[in-house]
Amino acid sequence: MANDSRVILLGEDVARMGGDFGATMGLLAKFGPDRVRDTPLSEAAILGVANGAAFVGLRPIVEIMFSDFITECYDQLVNNSAKAHYMFEGKASAAIVVRTASGAGFRAAYHHSQNPEAWFQNIPGLTVVGPSTPYDAKGLLIAAIRDDNPVIFLEHKMLYGTTGEVPEESYTLPIGVAEVKRPGTDVTVVASLKQVHYALAAAEKLAAEEEISCEVIDLRTLIPFDQATVLASLKKTGRIVLVNEAPKTGSINSEISAVIMEEAFKDLKAPVERVNSLDVPVGFAPVIEDYVTPGPADIAKAVRKVIDN
Amino acid sequence: MDKQKLLDYYRKMVLVRRFEETMEEYAKKGYIPGFLHLGIGQEASQVGAMSAFEPGDYVLPDHRGHGVCLMVGTPTREVMAEIFGKKTGTNGGRGGSMHVADLKRGNIGNNAIQGSTMATACGLAVSAQVKKTKSITFDFLGDGTVGRGEFHESLNLAGIWKLPIVYVLVNNGYAISTRATDAHPLADLAKMGCAYNIPGVTVDGNDVEAVAAAVKEAADRARRGDGATIVELKTYRWQGHFSGDPASYRPAEELAAWKEKCPIKHLRTQLLGKKLTDEAALKAIADDVEREIQDALKFAIDSPTPTIEDALRFVYVGREVAGK
Ligand SMILES: Cc1ncc(C[n+]2csc(CCOP(=O)(O)OP(=O)(O)O)c2C)c(N)n1
Repeated sequence: MANDSRVILLGEDVARMGGDFGATMGLLAKFGPDRVRDTPLSEAAILGVANGAAFVGLRPIVEIMFSDFITECYDQLVNNSAKAHYMFEGKASAAIVVRTASGAGFRAAYHHSQNPEAWFQNIPGLTVVGPSTPYDAKGLLIAAIRDDNPVIFLEHKMLYGTTGEVPEESYTLPIGVAEVKRPGTDVTVVASLKQVHYALAAAEKLAAEEEISCEVIDLRTLIPFDQATVLASLKKTGRIVLVNEAPKTGSINSEISAVIMEEAFKDLKAPVERVNSLDVPVGFAPVIEDYVTPGPADIAKAVRKVIDN
Repeated sequence: MDKQKLLDYYRKMVLVRRFEETMEEYAKKGYIPGFLHLGIGQEASQVGAMSAFEPGDYVLPDHRGHGVCLMVGTPTREVMAEIFGKKTGTNGGRGGSMHVADLKRGNIGNNAIQGSTMATACGLAVSAQVKKTKSITFDFLGDGTVGRGEFHESLNLAGIWKLPIVYVLVNNGYAISTRATDAHPLADLAKMGCAYNIPGVTVDGNDVEAVAAAVKEAADRARRGDGATIVELKTYRWQGHFSGDPASYRPAEELAAWKEKCPIKHLRTQLLGKKLTDEAALKAIADDVEREIQDALKFAIDSPTPTIEDALRFVYVGREVAGK
């Protein structure tokens, strides 16, 4: 925001309070009430404002407090943000970033725990980014702000407490590029957001206890995903486990799996394994929430399955 | 003035207050997972408004609505068990604090997507028209909801179809950190119905009698077939937005001033001042409430948690979902 006066921030409670999770604390004092605005509780209007402002040159960052509430502004996002560049024949676009807290684990039940990424994959024009570390969060967020496309920036609510090295200065990480977090030779494990940490935990355990070597890839950009990195790793290992916290049916794992069928069928030594939440809403009681969403044990089980196959 | 009625309000407000205090205490002790939105300070709005609720009516509580859920007649134990995430709770522990529902008593449940009860309320009201019953729908809203498109779309429908709805608009001054006066162009949100030909009244939400009278009038109107009313109740929440929120966005003096206007204290002063009761009788009420709370606590703590099989139930009607 300091570097680019076109960047504005709006959302519920982002200014005076600094956001429900404190992610925008201090920005009002620094950049003033024109550029940092609290809005009423009106998701559709928030996205509409962002679109309008973006069409004429601003670069809005909006916060939708919980990703579940994106359904409230889905029309703006689908029909206006995503299609803007196309509709204007390239003369303008919705250069917006939609920051939103996603994911399960908070014991917040059906309306505050969803992983919405799959909702966006049938909408040409949208990009979905989801960091798993503080370093990636900063680099990807700045990249998303500079990107001329609408970018949905998923922040897993259970990762807000994660600590890690973050340089003071401004830097960007490329959107659309995955990172190999852990090299390995037996199985490729592709994950994103909180599940990256679970995949790494599972990989450590499998290496230590069962001498299975997992290569763990953090997608970082979920839509479109980094085909080159995923397929190169699969070529090396011949086995793949796809991990994503959203319900299984129609998840981004389904899409990645389809791409593997098209592009790398012959590299497969075993069928693709998908690790997802069950096709069930997220319930409140901890036993239920934990059972429905995937954890390290589910990932390890899938790895063993592709090895045994 | 009906002494019995006032004592009944008093008992109910003390029950709601003690329920909320107990929930806060047990959340701090780690018994309650997730968010907890408390309505301490708002008891008169909940108890007063629900005094017009009759069997056969519907209610959609707000996310600060434990008190409303209790007023439907759901046993205190079941509401508490739900908040504890237990199998014996109203939703089998699957909903928690934000989702307490009790269909057989007319509590259709809150929707944690703020404002999304509003169109549902229209549907409940349409059902009463179609079935030709006298059922009315109480839709509890926060001031925050007024910003949503669904608020306006629903009022429009309620206006054209003369739907039997009472909008209980609990204006506690804030939507999380955002002041109602910063979020809406009118100070009295009851006037929001004007464009939709829906009358509105603004009432002191801490005066249980005033609340009850205004809501009763709105309820009568709805039962007569004259359509919806917005009853705006001006009140204040004492706690942060959720249990654990320090609420540093609001001045301490403001909170202190509202605590002076405590609805329970207000009624107590009136009851004693008019010699309708004495300290001993009020103490007996408090003791009775305490027994109910302790019984519910024991029930909630001792109840079993759901099992993983419960996670898979009720996703579809008549169709199984595979587990792991
Ligand atoms: C559609 C939607 N947007 C945002 C939220 C997050 N949120 C939860 S409560 C709340 C404020 C609600 O304020 P109000 O309606 O005044 O009720 P109060 O909390 O004051 O009782 C917000 C913004 C939500 N639950 N749903």
